[in-house]
Amino acid sequence: MADPTDKVREEFFSEAQELVENLSRGLLALDELQSSGTDDPAAVNETFRAVHTLKGLAGIFGAKSMGTISHRLEDVLDCLRLGRLPLTRDLLDVLFQAVEVYWQILAHEKDRSQKEPPGIETILQRLQAFGSSDAPVALTDEFEFEISLLSVLTEYEEHRLRSCVEQGLNLFRVRVAFELATIDKDLEEIKNKAKPLGEVITYLPTGESSSLDSLELDLLLASNFAIADLAGTLGGPNVAISAVPRRHVAAKPSPRDEPFEASMVHETSHPGVASLPVQAHEASMAPAAVMRSVSQSVRVDIRKLDALMNAVGELSIVKGVLGRIGERIRSEGNRQLGAELQRLQRTFDRRLSELQSGILEVRMVPLSQVFDRLTRVVRQIGRDVGKEIQLVITGGDTEIDKLIVEELSDPLMHIVRNAIDHGIESADKRRGLGKPEAGTIALNAFQKGNHVVLEVEDDGGGVNEQSLIDRAVTLSQISLDEARGLTRQEVLNLVFLPGLSTRDRAGDYSGRGVGMDVVKTNISKLGGVIDLQSERHIGTKITVTLPVTLAIVSALLIRIAGRTFAMPLTSVSEALSFEDSMAQPIDGRETMTLRGATLPLCRLDRFFQFDVTKPSRRRFVVVANMGVRRLGLVVDDLLGQQDIVIKALGRSLKSVTGFSGATELGDQRVALVLDVSAIIEEVLAGSESREAREVREVRHA
Amino acid sequence: MRVLVVEDSEATRAFVRAVLESLPGDEDMEVVEASGGFEALRLLPRGPYDLVISDINMPDINGLELLNFIRKSPLHQKTQVLLMSTQAAAKDRDRGMALGANAYLTKPFSPEGLRDALRSLTLGTA
Amino acid sequence: MRELTHRPDVKMPSLLAGVRGPKEFLVFMLAGAAYAVELARIREIVSPPLLTDVPRAAREILGVCSVRGLLVTVIDLRRRLRLVAAEATRTSRILLTETQSGEAIGLFVDEVKYVIRLESSEIEVAQAVLGGDLSDHITGIGRAENQVIVILDLMSMTT
Repeated sequence: MADPTDKVREEFFSEAQELVENLSRGLLALDELQSSGTDDPAAVNETFRAVHTLKGLAGIFGAKSMGTISHRLEDVLDCLRLGRLPLTRDLLDVLFQAVEVYWQILAHEKDRSQKEPPGIETILQRLQAFGSSDAPVALTDEFEFEISLLSVLTEYEEHRLRSCVEQGLNLFRVRVAFELATIDKDLEEIKNKAKPLGEVITYLPTGESSSLDSLELDLLLASNFAIADLAGTLGGPNVAISAVPRRHVAAKPSPRDEPFEASMVHETSHPGVASLPVQAHEASMAPAAVMRSVSQSVRVDIRKLDALMNAVGELSIVKGVLGRIGERIRSEGNRQLGAELQRLQRTFDRRLSELQSGILEVRMVPLSQVFDRLTRVVRQIGRDVGKEIQLVITGGDTEIDKLIVEELSDPLMHIVRNAIDHGIESADKRRGLGKPEAGTIALNAFQKGNHVVLEVEDDGGGVNEQSLIDRAVTLSQISLDEARGLTRQEVLNLVFLPGLSTRDRAGDYSGRGVGMDVVKTNISKLGGVIDLQSERHIGTKITVTLPVTLAIVSALLIRIAGRTFAMPLTSVSEALSFEDSMAQPIDGRETMTLRGATLPLCRLDRFFQFDVTKPSRRRFVVVANMGVRRLGLVVDDLLGQQDIVIKALGRSLKSVTGFSGATELGDQRVALVLDVSAIIEEVLAGSESREAREVREVRHA
Repeated sequence: MRVLVVEDSEATRAFVRAVLESLPGDEDMEVVEASGGFEALRLLPRGPYDLVISDINMPDINGLELLNFIRKSPLHQKTQVLLMSTQAAAKDRDRGMALGANAYLTKPFSPEGLRDALRSLTLGTA
Repeated sequence: MRELTHRPDVKMPSLLAGVRGPKEFLVFMLAGAAYAVELARIREIVSPPLLTDVPRAAREILGVCSVRGLLVTVIDLRRRLRLVAAEATRTSRILLTETQSGEAIGLFVDEVKYVIRLESSEIEVAQAVLGGDLSDHITGIGRAENQVIVILDLMSMTT
């Protein structure tokens, strides 16, 4: 691939990804049409256009293989939309395979891997095999057009016109005058009204407009309705509808361009109407509108949203300062001025919250984005491994932060692949067990407070606990003794250890031996947790809990060894004062008793190996929790609560555990945000050795 | 020189813009982008444009219809039109030339290809 | 200087006629020696603001700071190049640049000197200036004002 600048590469990837996603959705729609036997030229055309654009994009950026595939794919789709090829299962299979190859090419390009992904030659050959049959396209000159009308139609539009005419539809010219200021909205309106009435072949600008601010268009509409009905739905002050007369209406010079007000129009000019075959007409008129051709949305670079969030964050700080000034003024005697300022500050606060929620909303995208991709993947994998899989998706409209969604698709895909590979049994085995031959994978998502819960459940064989234990022992992850002492849930959780769930089959179609340990790490990085439940022969359920947004959270500011840190309040259950006498060592670990229960402790200054020169007398313990696990974090001081904007740490700091980001605290001071779940994980998994370490580094602050 | 680029792929538009802006000798180059026929129709009355570069195959209002509109518009009598089309769309291309397009380019094209096509158009300023 | 928060317009210089001709380099001091990086890659030069230390991070990472709301990871170039460590001084500066992945990185240097122009022909290749594995970071050697200047490859250093 040519070596453009990085920003340009990003543009390419961003657009290519979107196009392939659109293509994928389009194919799913076509799949459904094919199974139900209906026809939708608009859907086919959409698919063609997506490939056409991809081809252009690939050509410009020198993505050779993508360009070649797109070229062949375009030819095949062109034949499909011109009616020269029938839509069959085989054709669909090839199309889906092409999409899969696209994704692989994109992934390879993104990783800058030199070698090409497999399957390119195969897909090219398969596409080649779909040569076009030269079915004669009958030419009908049944209507009276100006020659110039035909000359501005593209070949495709002409084909659609002929198609409609062959089906016996009538043609109408709907002349609409638009105000340029509102043209987008008005156009959508007219399109929506026209859709159930027939097919709009094209839009012709008439070139005549009353002013610079208006535009006149002729919609060429093929419809089976009578002009009176059309006028009823589409009519309006700026609309004039006339019928395009048929050629064999010999006698009367039909009024071509007279508006509907001249009442003689419809019956007399269409003697052919009565004999229309209604059934065929209905079939083509069914609003099989499965794809929107005009998108109402805007593609936004998430960095712009981050910039907006920054601005809101800074305004929050200003709001705080305003409040304090108001208080000072009041306390200094000027009650009226102080009160006014505080009222103002409250209004400011309200508007700011609105702004904040508005921006957060913009960052939110529905999970269906990820789910749609999974549908295609499941179809592919199922066929590859010879298992029939039924994917049931609910809660696709649950929304989550766009940044999380981006990072979610890989882990989710691995979970689903695992379920298909290891979970769902072969058809034979399932039949033997009395299960339906097709395996079911249910994907569910819902919001729970500040979190989004994702469940992936399969009705497969469940986890084989014994083989998990055996594998763990073989890989020296646990000793035989430890293995005996594990609870059932702990055995199931072994699957998250490195090496436990990698596929070791030679025929790995994705070539990536990624296990559940990587999935767990990725989910943790997003601030989430993953849990597994399983019943032998019944199935397995994986639950992923994620924060709704990474962007703005309420946090507790704390001080440790003179430095300020922030802790998201979602992970804090309470805070109390602490004295060293409250700590009791149990099994080498410091704990304390809280309302009768034992709470393990972690002294954060030691955890981060800070130089503790003067330990403060009175300290605090913050009780943090993640799921059922709790940990008491000992800190020097509590500095109060604040809404903070969490900014991700750069890639060079990704390997540092214990922090989920950083935030600005006003006056440009930066405080690190603690990753509570990672800290809990590390402490409770037995890293107490850190606390006992002698060596400490002295670093300049 | 004022140029209107009509094309639904954002990256292709950016590419054409980059090539236009790299042409030597034209400090007053103004490039306006439209993502489709409708937007172009909206922008055209704010012209005149010296050059319109348009894709032929666009939904709703295609490049041919746009060309027709331009040719009929008194404001754009001197406008040159460069149409872009795919290799396979010979018929569309012929119609374009018949309607009075000044040049056409087959996609995908390189920066050199675009520059050559632009040079072949006699670009006089309005 | 261009602001880091604004995205430059999409340009595709490599597809058009290759950029030939002299390049500009920003020369700075590190442990008494002169080094340089491509000026075009440097967004801004700032006086070091308050740095927040990141516990458990690699030693060469001095910490993070905020430049007008943008989170910047600051790297101690002395440590990165395995030179003698030293305290910050009045002339210390941070060179702001951006990595391929869009991360904002700040390079901590002792003093910023000047900008020079060098043709590619004027840059000598010299492998053995820095230690073995660090040689990837050098593009070559340039000369100006009787000084030998080690030209560093920003891309390799900030990946």
